Amino acid sequence: MTSAVSVRGLWKRFGQQIAVAGIDLELPAGKFIGLVGPNGAGKTTTLSMVTGLLRPDQGTVEVVGHDVWRDPVAVKARIGVLPEGLRLFERLSGRELLAYTGRLRGLPGAEVDKRATQLLDVLDLAGAQHKLVVDYSTGMRKKIGLACALLHNPEVLFLDEPFEGVDPVSAQTIRGVLERYTGSGATVVFSSHVMELVESLCDWVAVMAAGRIRAHGTLAEVRGEASSLQQAFLELVGAHGRDAGSDLDWLGGGSR
Amino acid sequence: MSDASTITPVFVRLKLSLLRNGLRQSSGRRVAYIASAVLTLLFAALQLIGLIALRGHEHAASVVILLVAVLALGWAVMPLFFPSGDETLDPTRLVMLPLRPRPLVGALLAASLVGIGPLFTLCLLTGSVIAVAHGTAAYVVGVLGTVLGLLVCVALARAVAAANIRLLTSRKGRDLAVLSGLVIAVGAQVVNFGAQRLGSAGLGQLDPAADVLSWVPPASAISATDAASEGSYGVAMLQLALTAGALAALIAVWARHLTRLMTEPDGSTLQSPDTAVRQSTGLGRLLPAGRTGTVMERSLRYIWRDPKTKAAWVTSLAIGLIVPVFNAVQGTGSVYFACFAAGMLGIQMYNQFGQDTSAFWMVAMTISSTRDAYVELRARAFALLVITLPYATLVTAVTAAILGAWARLPETLGLSFALLGAMLATGAWSSARFPYSIPQEGHKNVAPGQVGLAWISIFGGMVAAALLCAPVIALTIWLNISADGDSWSWLLLPTGAAYGTALTALGLRLAAPRTATRLPEILTAVSKG
Repeated sequence: MTSAVSVRGLWKRFGQQIAVAGIDLELPAGKFIGLVGPNGAGKTTTLSMVTGLLRPDQGTVEVVGHDVWRDPVAVKARIGVLPEGLRLFERLSGRELLAYTGRLRGLPGAEVDKRATQLLDVLDLAGAQHKLVVDYSTGMRKKIGLACALLHNPEVLFLDEPFEGVDPVSAQTIRGVLERYTGSGATVVFSSHVMELVESLCDWVAVMAAGRIRAHGTLAEVRGEASSLQQAFLELVGAHGRDAGSDLDWLGGGSR
Repeated sequence: MSDASTITPVFVRLKLSLLRNGLRQSSGRRVAYIASAVLTLLFAALQLIGLIALRGHEHAASVVILLVAVLALGWAVMPLFFPSGDETLDPTRLVMLPLRPRPLVGALLAASLVGIGPLFTLCLLTGSVIAVAHGTAAYVVGVLGTVLGLLVCVALARAVAAANIRLLTSRKGRDLAVLSGLVIAVGAQVVNFGAQRLGSAGLGQLDPAADVLSWVPPASAISATDAASEGSYGVAMLQLALTAGALAALIAVWARHLTRLMTEPDGSTLQSPDTAVRQSTGLGRLLPAGRTGTVMERSLRYIWRDPKTKAAWVTSLAIGLIVPVFNAVQGTGSVYFACFAAGMLGIQMYNQFGQDTSAFWMVAMTISSTRDAYVELRARAFALLVITLPYATLVTAVTAAILGAWARLPETLGLSFALLGAMLATGAWSSARFPYSIPQEGHKNVAPGQVGLAWISIFGGMVAAALLCAPVIALTIWLNISADGDSWSWLLLPTGAAYGTALTALGLRLAAPRTATRLPEILTAVSKG
């Protein structure tokens, strides 16, 4: 099996804090891959380093066989990215943003406009295509970001929390597009802390906690004996058996 | 469960806590907070002394009436431009609490009397009364007038804020707030110009304006003191009554808006009817194909649509015009001041990637070679030139026309172009070397912790640009002092233009590899705030 992404010895420190503490990971091509972990596990830092948006302190990253830092020409043309916590060019309308992104990617103008129209239709954004992105809702922003990431038909798509704050209808739309995309042999890598979502979407999972990979493999391998990915995950990150107990015994019951 | 006597102390305490919490920020902000408070109080004390010194002056009444009117105008526009200045101003924060409108109005009014703004206003009103009051009756009227005037100012701000809260909490309102710095800058220029006029023509110029404003609350409250000093008690009573009436009307308007805000659904839950269709302006068709045209189009769109970029550009355009032209009109200028236009606009080339904010990642994802970075930077310089070249030429021509210095036009243009080229070159280079974040909210143009970086970037760049222009400046001086230099001074136009172009090309060439190899570092630097 060929690797879509190959990570070796990846480290990143921010001052005293170690965000990513030596990650080795081989992500198989043509799969729907979930990177899961609690908040602050280092998912965003890892994805930023893998996509070339953040320079690692140490380690190498190869995407479809090309080194991200030594061969950016080959890598950047082959990947699509939807980062979390970074802005878009919000003072453009949805259609203008797509036109801008596609042309910057070097696609011919007519082709960009054709693809943009189709993406806007499929993602249910056609009605809002002339509104400024700054006036979009969270779900609409995620969808227009996804459209920008897909426009140049990348081989590997990196999505950081693509379903965060997205309503169920938009989530279903995004899901449909991604399933069709991986169906054609492309790879999707996405991060999330919603286990049910990962369980229903992914066929390959990597679990991160405190800057390290705790487990990786197919969904069945990672789940193991546990009843659900949620249970397996809680055991892996050591958060099991922690409940509110009797501390909140006044809560509920109607009396004040 | 909420009558005025129980909730008023709560709101006053809330306001005091908010003021105190201003001190509980990072040390840098705390220093700024204390410094601004001390400065305001110092200014208040100074103007109090100034107003007392004005006592007995022939035009004292006109001056104080005008001052109070300007102060009231400040109170009226302040909530529009600084909506976040007073958190208790936003009644939508209180919607979920079981409060009745009538006690709430009283409590909020009391809370708004706490703070540096009201204290400043109180000082100014007190000083005004002292400046014009003569006799016991006048002082009695003055005390009443001060109280009424202060209440009118505060109620005015509250009423304006409540009436416009939809606008203030919407995106358009926040955009407006960003542009407010501009209003202050332009206002300062106008005040400066007005003060110069007054200085030369005397304070008597104010009398007609003051005559009208003495019947406009809250200036009417101070005018009442003046009237009482002169023995016109009827006029004084009428002016006080007018002020009290205005206060009642403002509170009524405010209470009505407040009730509506507290009982009707908040604007954010309603679908906005904003379906403004943005059609292609045809701009794209005029621009070259490929990355160059794409980047130029976005840069030009952002000058108009992005409030921060727009504010920066309008400031540059205004100052670039005001300095040479106003000086020329007043006869103190030189045609060389026209270079200011090129210099001010050249500043916009600085921190190009910071202007993108963290959206720079979209650019970074598409730059994979030095060539890409070069084309990106060159396109941004082109977009800037589309506006700057005609504008600098126009300002230079207008300045030359006002001064009648047509003979100096070619050399001034040459100098302008050389300066512009140097600014573009150093701007491109420092964009790659010293990028910093521009916070999108509020008035700051530099993120905390990056002030030094911005300083190096802009001032270092400007000094470097001036040094780079030295050969052209030297040539200009030489041609001006040498015997038959004037007949050759036209040569400075092509020389300056060619020199500027060469500098720009060189600057872009040097900046491109730095940009291409530092993409992650630039992204980190521009993503703060």
